[in-house]
Amino acid sequence: MIENLKEISKDTLLQEVQKFADAKARFVTTVCSDLGDKLEVTYYFNYSPGVDMVALRMVVGKDEEVPSISGIYLTAVLSENEMFEQFGLKVKDMAIDFGGLMLLGKDSPVKPMVKDDAAAGKGGE
Amino acid sequence: MAPRTIAPFGPQHPVLPEPIQLKITYENEKVVDVVPALGYGHRGIEKACELNEYPKNIHLCERICGICSCMHGISYCEVVERLWPMEVPPRAKYLRTIWSEMSRTHSHLLWLGLLADALGFESMFMQFWRIREKVLDLLEMTCGSRVTQSVSVVGGVRRDIDDEQKKICIRTLQEVRQEAEALINVLATDPTVKARTVGKGVLTKEQAILLGNNGPHLRASGVKEDCRMLGMQAYGELGFEPVVETDGDCYARALVRARETLQAIDLQLEAFSKMPEGEIYVRPKGSPPANEAVYRCEQARGEVFYYAKGNGTRKLERLRVRTPTFANIPSLLVMLPGSELADVPIIVLSIDPCISCTER
Amino acid sequence: MGIIQTSQVKSPWILHFCNSSCNGCDIEVLACLTPLYDVERFGIVNMGNPKHADVMVVTGPVNYRTARVLKNLYNQIPDPKMVIAVGACASTGGVFHNCYNILGGVDKVIPVDVYVPGCAARPEAIIDGVVLALQKLSKAVGVAK
Repeated sequence: MIENLKEISKDTLLQEVQKFADAKARFVTTVCSDLGDKLEVTYYFNYSPGVDMVALRMVVGKDEEVPSISGIYLTAVLSENEMFEQFGLKVKDMAIDFGGLMLLGKDSPVKPMVKDDAAAGKGGE
Repeated sequence: MAPRTIAPFGPQHPVLPEPIQLKITYENEKVVDVVPALGYGHRGIEKACELNEYPKNIHLCERICGICSCMHGISYCEVVERLWPMEVPPRAKYLRTIWSEMSRTHSHLLWLGLLADALGFESMFMQFWRIREKVLDLLEMTCGSRVTQSVSVVGGVRRDIDDEQKKICIRTLQEVRQEAEALINVLATDPTVKARTVGKGVLTKEQAILLGNNGPHLRASGVKEDCRMLGMQAYGELGFEPVVETDGDCYARALVRARETLQAIDLQLEAFSKMPEGEIYVRPKGSPPANEAVYRCEQARGEVFYYAKGNGTRKLERLRVRTPTFANIPSLLVMLPGSELADVPIIVLSIDPCISCTER
Repeated sequence: MGIIQTSQVKSPWILHFCNSSCNGCDIEVLACLTPLYDVERFGIVNMGNPKHADVMVVTGPVNYRTARVLKNLYNQIPDPKMVIAVGACASTGGVFHNCYNILGGVDKVIPVDVYVPGCAARPEAIIDGVVLALQKLSKAVGVAK
């Protein structure tokens, strides 16, 4: 159960994030998870000073492109690159684009976190 | 315009025990641009955690990072406990707090030593690490291991601290506090240390918040924010107050960590005096239900974020870990441009980078 | 046997390289250099430059990106050289053996002379490993005991 969760769509993402930036909230992180045919992306923020977290959640298709929030919060650039590498989520206009080679090497498995991908894991225990 | 040179900083560099690369563009000794190249420490622990049954992941999560190992284990257990949700016995909460603070003490002493080493202050490096060994001895006595403590399990802790050990802990911690205080006084007043750290890598309060910094790095810029204020484990009963400095430079960051070292020892002593008797473990019932949970905990380097999603089986659907350095690295992109090339190691070190945490 | 060979065995210089390790073994390698364990009394010095080193101490499992760096560093160390794999992950891949980005132990990429077990390896075990490597090195340079 996640507290203070708000469902949004990718069209309103930038507006919603801008509100946090105006209120001087701190960006915590993004969490992407694979729902099978869609991806669920959750952005976590923290009003500063304070310790309570607020979350924005959107569900997007696997081929859809989402806008980057790195124009507002530069620090999101690492999380967004990570989502692109691990889940293949396309993020438009990232401030620094590592081109899928931020964490993974050239020979590493592609999109390793996707559930149905055969290359993902080397098997059980 | 002077010619520009690009120098690689890392992945194998004497200042950093860990592999990270910074491509630094500089012009006449002034840094112009920095691009971080990560990936030298990426293993894929998040995925591996989906392949194992949930109690086995404790061992993987503890090996996300060897320095903050204890707190990674505790955070993983706490986030999985929140999936049911279930409550751990009060004594286990106190024991978790004591071990967390003990590993914070050793981590901060380690960092203060590395800072002295980066400044070329060899003897102080050796002194800090000499004191740190005493804390490691305590960890070894109470947990059985110097580095990877592995005491936390889902539902409580595996070991108890008996009265004999408690006495030794209190006596040693008081010794450590005295010796650390003396050394910290030298570090805080030494003119050469000040010359190398005051006014270097300044980050204002607004910048620090917008860059999403956390931990001692954020508190050195004057923001009073600490996950221990949430009152998880036993912190709510210990009268915890975060350490804050306002200057936002490398010196302020060193001071925050130095004062937190002493504070961590005080918290341990207080926790020892207030620790209740009782059980240390409750058995969790069945598998984690289909639910999600988040948990944040203040590690030595800052706030760690755990997200877990269960699906009713013995395996987790998704585990996400956002470690403190992952959020602190972007601040280098703001702090380094404009600084002298010779200050780069100190500024990089001042965020207390932990690369194996960052890349998992 | 010349002065160089003798000093290689009596005062070996170490290059420490961290693969994608968890840090646990790295801080134990550093702890070896500090007052409690103090390997400098044996003439062992930690070096940043591979070209000055005789013994390479490697921690952590090899991943797809560090494999190239590790090979480069190994080739930059002048002969004769010794490689010590410190910790369970450096020896076999350890707890990370089924992570997707991990190739395995250090011996998948470069030849290893001494394996030090433990997770994390204790400083005493690391010192013991260095001593074993030195015995092997002394045979290699012809100062054999």
